Amino acid sequence: MRPELGGLRERLEAALGGANVGVDPAETARYAVDGVSPALTARPGSQEEVSSVMAACAQAGAAVVPWGGGTAIGLGNPPSRADVAVILDRVDRIVEFDAANLNVTVEAGMRLADLQVALGKERQFLPLDPPADAKATVGGLLAANSSGPWRLLYGTARDWLLGMRVVLPDGERIRCGGKVIKNVSGYDMNKLFIGSLGTLGIITEATFKLLPLPAARASVAGVFAELSQAAGVVARVLDSVLLPEALELLDPDAVTLLGPALGLDGTGYGLAVSLAGSRETVERQVRDFLELFRGVQARATAALPDQRVAPAWQAIRNVFDLLPGVPSARITCKIAALIGRTVDMLAAAEALGRRHKLRAAVTAHAGSGIVRACYLVGPETPPAEVLASGLEGLRREAEAAEGSLVLQEAPPAFKKLMDVWGKAGEAFEVMRRLKADFDPRGLSNPGRFLGGI
Amino acid sequence: MVSQPLLKELRQILGKANVLDSAVDLQHYKYDAYLEERRPDAVVFVHTTEEVAGVVRACDKYGVPFVPRGGGTNLTGGTIPSKGGVVLEMVRMNRILEVDRANLRARVQPGLFNLDLGTHLAPLGYQYLPDPASQKAATLGGNVAENSGGPHCFKYGVTTNHVLGLTLVLPDGTVARIGGKAPDASGYDLTGVFVGSEGTLGICTEIVVRIMRLPEGVKTLLAIYDSIEAGSETVSAIVAAGMVPATLEMMDQPVLKAVEEFMHCGYPLDCATVLIIELDGLKDDLEIQARAIEDLCRAHGAREVRVAKNDAERAALWAGRRGAFGAVARITPSYLVCDGTVPRTALPQVLRKVAEVSQRYQLQIPNVFHAGDGNLHPLILFDWRDADQKARVMKAGMEILELCVAVGGTISGEHGVGLEKIDAMRLVHGEAEIRAQLRVKRAFDPKDLANPGKMFPRPEEVCRAA
Repeated sequence: MRPELGGLRERLEAALGGANVGVDPAETARYAVDGVSPALTARPGSQEEVSSVMAACAQAGAAVVPWGGGTAIGLGNPPSRADVAVILDRVDRIVEFDAANLNVTVEAGMRLADLQVALGKERQFLPLDPPADAKATVGGLLAANSSGPWRLLYGTARDWLLGMRVVLPDGERIRCGGKVIKNVSGYDMNKLFIGSLGTLGIITEATFKLLPLPAARASVAGVFAELSQAAGVVARVLDSVLLPEALELLDPDAVTLLGPALGLDGTGYGLAVSLAGSRETVERQVRDFLELFRGVQARATAALPDQRVAPAWQAIRNVFDLLPGVPSARITCKIAALIGRTVDMLAAAEALGRRHKLRAAVTAHAGSGIVRACYLVGPETPPAEVLASGLEGLRREAEAAEGSLVLQEAPPAFKKLMDVWGKAGEAFEVMRRLKADFDPRGLSNPGRFLGGI
Repeated sequence: MVSQPLLKELRQILGKANVLDSAVDLQHYKYDAYLEERRPDAVVFVHTTEEVAGVVRACDKYGVPFVPRGGGTNLTGGTIPSKGGVVLEMVRMNRILEVDRANLRARVQPGLFNLDLGTHLAPLGYQYLPDPASQKAATLGGNVAENSGGPHCFKYGVTTNHVLGLTLVLPDGTVARIGGKAPDASGYDLTGVFVGSEGTLGICTEIVVRIMRLPEGVKTLLAIYDSIEAGSETVSAIVAAGMVPATLEMMDQPVLKAVEEFMHCGYPLDCATVLIIELDGLKDDLEIQARAIEDLCRAHGAREVRVAKNDAERAALWAGRRGAFGAVARITPSYLVCDGTVPRTALPQVLRKVAEVSQRYQLQIPNVFHAGDGNLHPLILFDWRDADQKARVMKAGMEILELCVAVGGTISGEHGVGLEKIDAMRLVHGEAEIRAQLRVKRAFDPKDLANPGKMFPRPEEVCRAA
């Protein structure tokens, strides 16, 4: 432990009790970020205790790394410092579920999956479906601005968050937004913290707008010999009145991995579609999609009944976990592109893996402009520089089309080869000033964000 | 405040004809739809991002405040140059730059009227969803500044949910593009922070919005009630039944009377309230949903439910709703529009208390509300020439906001803070919250030149401390 942190452990133990402060290297190493282990771990049991921890860390000049479920902890540059991991798994209560007004207030450490179970009891749900949703926490989902296939119909966290509570780097607690779905009382501070990756403070509570569970859900999928056939269906759908919940485009590797979950035989490019609503609109859309699939001569099609829909989409969101073998490293990235360029970017990301004979899978939230790619690297694959240079090429292509490429997960050594976030953008100076105003001493998850913020 | 050298620079940038500084010209720019007035020191007409940047750079150089102005429909004084300075008249920047159907985006200039975008998109089969009632005269730049809502936001969200990128002129005159046509730009969501910032963080000169296909079907119902409670209970029952209509709008009897006298839309005059329910989406279940809603309306005491038979009937219902503020304006010389928002189920309770406020202050308060999202617009009627009345109106308005906050609501749903609600900010925010928001202000506008004197108690102190 760095000498200047002396006294911090005692202060944290006094605030949280000894059992909730970790100093054992074996324990702290479990919360290493990009190979940087914190000196201490702190597990506050309430939002007030998060505030005490932040205040104590500020006083000691200790850098904090917030931890939720750890599912997106790979996102970001290696930390410039990490003294204390603040683990939020004990701050995990439902504060208020106001079903009559379609909203819920929940603490940040609650897992999204647990929240959905609680909401389901009143036949409501939060329409956000990030990867690893069984483990991902509400706070982590917001801090990383994670999203999934459902964003096509429902949007992302910024469209569902009504309010939040945040502990600022000096320990001060603030409330942003509120409980109502229209609110212009001052700046929309929710937006500042969504996706800020803990660099402006720690989110401790969130209030979400909810939806009634749809009366019916169904899923259809098709396999196509050529990407252009699947792309044709996507283009037709986006130009139609149909309202699918999700349109996931799959490269041949993803189709192979997902065949059993989707009930699909055959190889090629895939398109999985999720439909939700009343029985009448779902049945009509199932028919329309199967007809569209036949119209472009799909090799195989499948329609899943209601009870198989959730597991199938769970598999789609987490398809990279199905890649076989034990890799020495996994590199995943998210490409954001113009909606009309999504298919091209999927093709380019797929070609990169094939060119280097990597085990890989690529999927796209077609209709939302998001491509996700995962490459496994190991001793038998080409050197990391080759893949990094290929990803830089993809990034240039994405940026030329007004988009971006962000590394979601990669070994620290790989992050030395290429920037995690890409170019900083024209208003970076404002972002830098925001960071300096909210966290003048640079103690809140320092170094991990865009431009080294 | 605006010196001769600054005026000279403005004329060099824009040409003589585009700079106004005579007292008679400036009179036209001293008010908006709120109740206060302040004359600017100069008004400039801008046509391009470069011109806006030039004007703002000049203001920065001379330390002079600036305020962008769109349609001037703001209801809280957001457009009033309360510290003087330069007003930038944006309405000549009113072009649709691009409708990009392949990418489901449109790129527009801020002076474009909201309705004009809709009118342009509809024949192509598309729509831009946020639809403030003032859409004929409200500009998209103003919608961005205020994060405007409208009847459709219960289902589709407000302006911020449909704005994906902006070109900004920052308060020092720098031009920066943020967000864009592609999603999820890296870094802080400055687009999200800017929307709703009421002109206090800079000026947007280009806006990228989401466009969506027009729905396959639309169905509009009018339910007529003899009690307001019955109407609001129906709204809760519809939501509890798992339905999400596009709109759930209510008007009370005095508003209906004013609307009918003004516009003759076919609303009944002998009822307590009407509820306008619009369903949209795939046509397959619209009939079924409409029947279910009709049953719910009757079960909760509707004495009659009408279904618009055609587009003309539907248009008439909406014309009445959209014209409600204008119609009410015929009753007395002035009114103050309140804009509180409460959790939907608290509506009946709050409406009863608003009626008590009306009695206590001896003021007429007709009501229009977006019942689906709990946003109520009590309209406090008065005569601005009567100072005593005006004082009572301001007190009554504040009391209504306090009522909203007390049940878990807030002081503004869609009209903003502006000048009107600077004091009310403390009803919903503590010192820590206000300080945090002022940090944002300072990061964008360290000299406090962008629409100063709005939203926050004393931002200048914070900015000067920087």
